Formats: sequence, C-alpha cells, structure tokens
Amino acid sequence: MSESLLVLPLLVAVLTVAAAAFDAVLGASAAGVPGAWRAWDAPLRETARLLVRQRRSTLAADRLLRRAGVLVLPVAAVLAAAVLPLGGARAASDMSVGIVWFNAMEVAVWAGVWLAGWGVNSAYPLVGGYRMIAQGLAYELPHMFALITVAVGAESLRFSDVVTAQHDLWFAVQMPVAFLVYLLSALAMAFWGPMSSPVGADLAGGAAAELSGADRLVFSAGRHAMLAVAAAAAVPLFLGGGAGPLLPAWLWALLKTLAVLAVLVWTAHRLPVLRMDRFMTFAWTALIPATLLQLLVTGLVAL
Amino acid sequence: MGLRARLLRYAAGRPRPLVVAVPGFTGVRLAVEADLRRRGWRPALAPAEADLLIVCGRPGPDLARAIDTVWDQMPSPRARADAPTASDVPSALDAASAHLADEPAQLEDAAQRASYTPETSMDHSTMDHGDMDHGDMDHSAMGHGDMDHGAMGHEGHESMDHEAMGHESMGHEAMGHEGHGGHGGHGGGHDHHMMGAPHGLAMADRAPDRDGLKLDVLHVPFGPVLADWPAGLKVTFTLQGDVVQAAEVEHLAGDAGAGRFWDGTNVVAARLDALARLLAVAGWTGQAAQARVLRDQALDGKVEKARLEKFVRRTRRSRTLRWMLQDVGLGETNAWTRASGWLAEIGGETRPDTSAATPPLGELLVGLDVAAARLLVAALDPDTEGAVAEHV
Amino acid sequence: MQPFVAALALLGLTAALACGVYAMSAYTALPGTPAAAPYLSGGLPLEHAVSRYHVRWYVITLVFLAFDMEMVFMYPWALVVTSVGPKAVVEMFGFLALLLVGVLYAWREGAFRWA
Repeated sequence: MSESLLVLPLLVAVLTVAAAAFDAVLGASAAGVPGAWRAWDAPLRETARLLVRQRRSTLAADRLLRRAGVLVLPVAAVLAAAVLPLGGARAASDMSVGIVWFNAMEVAVWAGVWLAGWGVNSAYPLVGGYRMIAQGLAYELPHMFALITVAVGAESLRFSDVVTAQHDLWFAVQMPVAFLVYLLSALAMAFWGPMSSPVGADLAGGAAAELSGADRLVFSAGRHAMLAVAAAAAVPLFLGGGAGPLLPAWLWALLKTLAVLAVLVWTAHRLPVLRMDRFMTFAWTALIPATLLQLLVTGLVAL
Repeated sequence: MGLRARLLRYAAGRPRPLVVAVPGFTGVRLAVEADLRRRGWRPALAPAEADLLIVCGRPGPDLARAIDTVWDQMPSPRARADAPTASDVPSALDAASAHLADEPAQLEDAAQRASYTPETSMDHSTMDHGDMDHGDMDHSAMGHGDMDHGAMGHEGHESMDHEAMGHESMGHEAMGHEGHGGHGGHGGGHDHHMMGAPHGLAMADRAPDRDGLKLDVLHVPFGPVLADWPAGLKVTFTLQGDVVQAAEVEHLAGDAGAGRFWDGTNVVAARLDALARLLAVAGWTGQAAQARVLRDQALDGKVEKARLEKFVRRTRRSRTLRWMLQDVGLGETNAWTRASGWLAEIGGETRPDTSAATPPLGELLVGLDVAAARLLVAALDPDTEGAVAEHV
Repeated sequence: MQPFVAALALLGLTAALACGVYAMSAYTALPGTPAAAPYLSGGLPLEHAVSRYHVRWYVITLVFLAFDMEMVFMYPWALVVTSVGPKAVVEMFGFLALLLVGVLYAWREGAFRWA
C-alpha cells in the first residue's frame, strides 16, 4: 500500500499534464495553427510562465479564503483518486465506503471554486463562484443516483468489489444511462467544456479571472487533475477496471483511463457551454427521472 | 544564466496576449488575430491571465484610459504592443516577446509597481458622493458584522474608526492583507458618508428587486477591454445576483485614422467575424476558431468551399447551441434566428428579412442573467465601427 | 482505520506538493506583491464585490436538501437491497415518488427558471 501511496500523486500528475497537452493540441488544431502538434508543451510553458509571475492580489482580497479555495482543488482530486484501484493493484486507500468518499471529495470542489471566486473581491469571479454552486445543484443528484446504481449492481460501496462485480458484463453495458450521466458529471466536477460556465469566457474567466502566478497554477492544475481523476474513476465504476485480454491489468486500466480522458477533452471542443438556468430544468425534469428509472431497473435485476 | 531568466525566456516563446479591439481599426485586429494564430499564441481572457497587452489601432482618450487601467492590472512580467496599423503588427509582437524575456527590464518594471487604492486612482467625477443615496442604509448595522458581509465584516469595523484610518494603527498585518500603499489620501474629500467603506471603497448598497426584496446592487461594467466583445462598447450592468436590473450603454471611440472596414463587399467575412464572437461567448471555442480561419480565407478570396459548408452545417445542426440561444430575445427575433440568418448569408442563400427594428440594447438586457446578456450582445453585434473621437 | 490513515497521508503529501509550488514561485517570481483593482473590462469599481448575492435558485437549494437527506439513507440501502428483497425497493421508490411530487410542484411554480 505504501508504494501506491507514492505512485498515486505521480500518476495523477502525469494524467494531468497529458490532459492539458492534448487539450492544447486540439485547441491549436481547431484554431488552424500551423504544426498544431507543437502545442504539446503548452502545460510546461504555462507552468514556467506562472512561476515567474509576480504575486498578485486584488483590492481588499481575502487572501486566506482565496488560497484555501485554490488548494482545495488538487487536494480533492488526489484524495478522490485515493480510493481507485490502480488496475490489478490495490487502491492507495481501499475504503469500504469508497464511493461515498469519492462523492464527498468531488463536492469539495464546489467549495473551492466558490471560495476562490468570493475571496478575490471582484465581480466577475463572484458571479462565476455562484455559478459553480448552481451547477452543483443541477448535476449532483443525477450523478449520485448514477453512483448508487453502481453500488446496487455491485452490492458494495468498495471500488474493488465494483470491479469484481463486472466480471461477466461491464456496468457501462448493464446501466448505460448511469454511464452517460456519469460522463456528464465528470465534466461538471472539473467544470470543463460544456459545464465550464463557472470559469466561462463570458465572465472573462469567471472564478479564475483574478488568479495569477502560483495561485493560477495550482487552481488550473487541480482542475485538470480533477478531470483526469473523474476519467480514471469511470474505469472501475463502469468499464470493468483492469479487465482485458493479453495485456496486464494496470496497462488496461491506464489505456481505458486515457481513452475516457481523451473523449472528455475532445467533447469540450465540440460543444457550447450550457447555461445553468436552461440546464437546471433539464437536469431536474429529465436527468433525475431517467437515472431513477435506471436505478429501479438495476434494483429489480439485482433482486 | 539564472533559473528565473531561463523560465522567462521559455515562457516568452509563447505569451498569452489580451487583445484590445479599437473601433474603426478592425483591419488591425484581424491582422493581430492572424498573426497570433501563425505564432500559436493563445489569447487570454483577463489581465491576471495575460502577460501581453495588444492594442489594435489608435484608441480615443476614454478608451485609452480604460486600456491603461487594464495595463495596471497585469502582473509583471508584462509587455505592451501598440499596433496603430496592420503593418506594425509583426514587429510589435516580436518586440513584445523580446521584452518579456528581458530579465533586467522586467525586474525594473516590477520594482515600480504600486498597489491600487481607490483614493489615488478613483475618477472622482464618476463617483459623485453627493448623489449616493445613503438615506436607506442602515448605518447602525454597517460594519458591525450583523450585515453578514462574511470576510468584510471586520474590515468594516476597522474603518469605522476614522482616526485610525491611514495610520500604522490600522494593523495591516492583523487584517491579513497584502501591502497597501498610499493610505494617506484617506482624508481628502471623504466625510462620514464613507463610513463602512473599507479601503476607501463603499460596500454594495441596497435597492428594490423585482422579487419584492431589497438587496445588494453591484454596478459591473462589461467592455470596452473585454475579449469577444464589440469594439469600444461599454455596458454597465446594475446587477442583483447575476440578473441585470438596468443597463447603461456607452460608446468609446477610436482616434483619428479610424475607418469603416466592413463596407458591404465582404459580407461573408463580416458575418463569420460576428459568428466567431457569438460562438466564443457561447463557449464553443473550436467552432469559433474555425469561423476565424474561414473569415481570413474569405478576405483573401480563397475560401475552402468544403470547409465552409461543413462549418455552416455543423453550426446549424447544433441542438445545444439552439437550446442556449433561442430564448435570448431580440425584439421580434431571437439570438438563434439571428445566427441562422448569418449562416444563410454565409452559405450563399438569400438572407431572410430580419431588418425589423430591434429595441435599444439597454432595454433588451433588463431581466436577463449575465450569460444570456452576453449572448444577446454578441448576437445583436451592434455596429461600433463608425465611432470616432470628435473632441480630439 | 488503515484506509483513512492512508488518505490522511495523501492529504499531507498533496498539500506539501502544492506548498512546494508556492515556495518555488516565491523563489522564481519577480519581486513585489501589488494589489490590483478588480478587473472590470477597464472600469474601476464603485463598490466592493463581496455583497449579499441574490441567488435566484434559492428554492432549488431547498428541494436539493430534501433529496440530499434521502441520499444519506440510500447509501446503506444500496448494500442491503438484495438481502431485504422487494420490500426494500418498494419502500425506497415510494419515498422517492413522494420527493418527485415535490419536484413536480417546484417545476410547476417555475423554480428551475430564474432569469
């Protein structure tokens, strides 16, 4: 267990950089930049850029709240990853209530974004921070019902039991609605792509608009890490964990994670951002009934 | 060479520019956007994110002041590229990149930076204290924590004590704030109206809301220095929560030399330019970038037919985009029908007649939330090109 | 308690790494910590941004809380649903149906649209 403890932050970091690099290349390619693949080093350049930046504050900013909000993101991402089985290996922290833990860590992100938005005492970030809470209210219940559906299917809240339960058939096939809703909420928990209104371009970067230097670096890294961890969690939850022919379990888990991550990053370039006052109705009147129906079906099958 | 110099040089290879559009200098903006694309520099959205400020054209005095304000908000290392004409763009960007990598120059600039204080920087003419209606403000509650200002509560307390203001006894360390210079100006022009005004800036005041409540109001300007926003337009929203209660529209002008770029001979490119802004505000970044590439192709007269058709088809078919746009009303039409009209023109079809007069922008915006308001401005795409500073 | 010790260790490790980033930036960043005016597209603020923010989705938070309490029961329910049998499914979905009536009412009242 001690080795996976040390490997885990490294693994999350690698996936984070991979997500950022893929995102930069996709962006450059869509923008028609000649030799778009050369944008792969964008995360490294951005890191260098932010490390030399002067530290910055805003008028009457609450430094403590701002910094706490920023730090929540990477910490929540790594702690959420703690309960994920790494292919064949045991999770860094194989809790019997892993799914609940994962859920709790992901909700901590709401607080982080809101604190970062409120703490800088600036109007655009303030609106952005509150958008995160509204977004949470919209996506969280369908997301929780999707996770509960998995738990009912596996009769356990432990991630390794969930993987074992998919020995015959992946949950992505058994419960497709839950899987699709999970992918949507994976975007929402990293406020990414169509769910990125809290840091939207219409608010000049929303909750992150006033962050600079190390603050921005940690916030941005935490956000990418959250996306990577959300993608990684889809593998034990819905895609059979490390199961697969020929290759070792850890490699299968890694490949599946990268595939889900690529889909999530790609989606961000292909969809407009959802306005929360429109999405809210859809989430409560369509997604919640759909996920409950999925839960009912899974419950009846499990009986 | 030290670590910092190395990092500066590496980062300067691909800076993140904040591009300022100036009305009447559309040609310069298009040259900047094309050059940024060629270099692979990704535009930034806010001064905290940017390290390069690019001014496309010659701004009039009011716009120049707004640009200077944003320039002051950019942390070091920073560089500014003023490109009065399109031919200046490549050399200005090269010089800016070199300046960003220049450690001694950046150190010197960083040493001169001072903190913002409302006393020294505030434009007193815009902040007419006499007009501020403090009548209904509950003075007894101000700054006592009852007001539930969260973190501001204790600062309000501090500033109640006017004797303490601007002196060492204010205890900056205890308040947990980063350095504030220039508090000496606190006395000038401020009387007891500024009670409960920590750091010389008032707390939000209350006003009736459409829900029948009395709640805090923020006055939040959008524009003129804002990405994907009509050049020179400034709309000050009166916000309660994120809903617009009132909107005041101003036009900030370009300086001499400003001219009309879209003259009716390049309709396809003009519509693609407007669509690029709308798509960017809608958060569909990939499609917005496509629109800009196609726009530049159309201006050069060598547009790839297949690519253009694919762009029009994909935009039209997007259910999500329609879902997000169709309730944004523009009088008789809405943002989606407006965008569809543009797409029809781009596709070579005759445009459906949408010349019906739209109500003034300020009225349309009332009652929308910020996200819808920005979509509305982008879909309305008011013509700001003609605005030239008259009093110069 | 072993898994929670591991989680605590990870918390410390990640926090240390993040602090390392701040330490690194203190070393490499250009000196000075100016406090800027909040970015308002070139405008200057008339008031502090921190204020009593009017959340229009206030009603939704209340409906959400009702469901969130229900989730607390649902996690243990998921573990025993097969052993208890059809009775557990009927009870839980009866409860959910009641909550959904509340959602239906909130929807009819227009709580999910605010702008």
